[in-house]
Amino acid sequence: MEVRARLGIFLCDCGKSLNNIDFSKVKERAEKFQDVVYVGLSSCLCLKEGLEEMLSVVRQERINRVVIAACSPELKENVFRKALEEAGLNYNCLSIANIREQCSWAHEADVTDKALELIRMAANKARLLQPVERKDTPVNTEVLVVGGGFSGMKSALELSELGLRVTLMEREPVLGGKLGEFEGFYGFETTPKEILSSVREAIEGNKNIGVLTSAEIIRVEGEAGNFTVSIRRGEEKVSRSFGAIIFATGYTTEILPQDFELKPDVNIISQRKLVEMLEAPAGLEQRPGTIGFVLDVSDENSRLPFLSTLNNALAVKEKLGSEVYVFCKNLKVDSEGMERLYREARERGVVFLKFEEKPRISKEDGRVKVEARDVLRGEEVVLLCDFLVAEEKVLPPEGTQTLSSMLNIGTDSRGFYQDENVYLYPVASERRGVFFVGGCRGDSDLARASTDISSAVTSFIRLLSPRDVMVEVKPQKCRACLTCIRVCPHSAVKLVRVETGEEVAKISGVACDRCGICTAICPAKAIRFEGYADEQILAEIEAIGESL
Amino acid sequence: MSREDNKIVAFCCQHSAYQVANKAGRMRLHYPDNVRIIRVPCAGRVDVQHILKAFEKGVVGVLVMGCQEGACQHLTGNTRAKKRVKYTEDLLKEVGIDGGRVKMVNLAPDMAQRFVGEIKEMAEKIEGR
Repeated sequence: MEVRARLGIFLCDCGKSLNNIDFSKVKERAEKFQDVVYVGLSSCLCLKEGLEEMLSVVRQERINRVVIAACSPELKENVFRKALEEAGLNYNCLSIANIREQCSWAHEADVTDKALELIRMAANKARLLQPVERKDTPVNTEVLVVGGGFSGMKSALELSELGLRVTLMEREPVLGGKLGEFEGFYGFETTPKEILSSVREAIEGNKNIGVLTSAEIIRVEGEAGNFTVSIRRGEEKVSRSFGAIIFATGYTTEILPQDFELKPDVNIISQRKLVEMLEAPAGLEQRPGTIGFVLDVSDENSRLPFLSTLNNALAVKEKLGSEVYVFCKNLKVDSEGMERLYREARERGVVFLKFEEKPRISKEDGRVKVEARDVLRGEEVVLLCDFLVAEEKVLPPEGTQTLSSMLNIGTDSRGFYQDENVYLYPVASERRGVFFVGGCRGDSDLARASTDISSAVTSFIRLLSPRDVMVEVKPQKCRACLTCIRVCPHSAVKLVRVETGEEVAKISGVACDRCGICTAICPAKAIRFEGYADEQILAEIEAIGESL
Repeated sequence: MSREDNKIVAFCCQHSAYQVANKAGRMRLHYPDNVRIIRVPCAGRVDVQHILKAFEKGVVGVLVMGCQEGACQHLTGNTRAKKRVKYTEDLLKEVGIDGGRVKMVNLAPDMAQRFVGEIKEMAEKIEGR
């Protein structure tokens, strides 16, 4: 049964500072609005005295819908809502007219009439507001972490520290990833291998983390809070349920054939091969006299190849004492500590040469000949080196495309995940409950990966907190045309079968981010967004231009 | 005709334009007082019927203000709004209300000057109608 609205209008003149509004006139006129039982003026509605006074009036006058005419809602809305809950009102029974920022402050002249109209708009809306229920939507708190490299393992550890169950999946038979391929981080006491083994040990001893190696995802269904993931492990296939999925699938590196005419061989090697050499210098027949690095061949390169080049060049200097030449187009030092590494490399005698045109690489007497024009000195340089470390491109790992189409998530121009709105969602994706951390978002160093991990963990915790059901499909109106499922930017809508046997759309309270796109687009007008329902917005518009 | 009869409705996305409007107020950037701001959760919530309702109530200009393209909190809300604004514009043209009375504006939360500029532009346009 509809309860007749009893409106209370609370005006606040913000410490008597809103001088271009005649509050006595506003009060007098507002009292004549429909269903209004009380209009009061305060100078400090948001302070303790103001709130207490408001609450006693709400109780006394049995007010069930409150209009507050004061500052912008994002400032004090939560304070007011909390206070009203104390008075036994549902917090959604509040409508705020912004008469400070968007009225008094925005205009010079007397704006009493505008303020009145804003209040009438808010009152019209308030009359139609419905109480909302805070529901604890059941959320599966177990998280699936895909990728057993540094980022994946760290994510699993951080989640387990919060007492959450984690399943850590890795395609390879062992955990580890790319970290072990780095020789060292120059200037750090601990080596990447030590970091790796300590993280791996922590994972193995953790009862909250289940590890699945040699495992691959074959299907993902469901939405945030309730994903069903099919996993293949050898011959066996399992289907498991998770609340969220964190992808830490990393990257891969490759020497592109179009960059180098000569194939990698004994003399032309990858960074990884160089690291192997540095680890066992004794195994070398003779100490290499000259080592060259070539970077930036096909296009401007990213930070990871530079980071490994600088680290490895310094390691070569230290362990082998060879002469080191780095050919590159533009040296980028955009990671923390890279500028320092670069300076140190120069001080230790690493020579950097800048080219504009692609260097010519050939073989001569079992050595590698690099010919390039150094644009800084304006000279042709010919270098004969024992080993040439060829540039490796940082690429998305195999299977990225398959996964992204399986998840219905876009990739950027280089094929990495997560290009959608990185300003607002650093680690989240179009699909709520699916996060990306570390190397799979493009080249990322350890510091960036660590930030990503914390961010993803926090986002997941936010996902778990109880939310109100604001957007709902009315099953009797739904024609199951699937429009909402198609347009929902957060993949929060799915089809469910109701008692009558029909299929209707249902919005997941956890996955929904309350944008109202589905509400606007639904051809059957079957979706109601409480607070921004059609009749509420229309009622606001209705108040415009009515005689006051 | 007085300015009070020449009202403008601005549907403002709470993530960007609504905050811009507050910022303009805080900066005391004055703009015509015939504009009425309606807060929406996303520009994508604004429907054709809302815009038409405003015109039905005698409003003479409608602005739909959302986030910058590529920076919508809800990814596609602003682009959907743009399409609906275009659609409404065509509808209005059919009934003889010239285009340009409804406009999509993309704003970042700090673009107070631009916000004021857009409101002034619309106010001038409808005054000279």
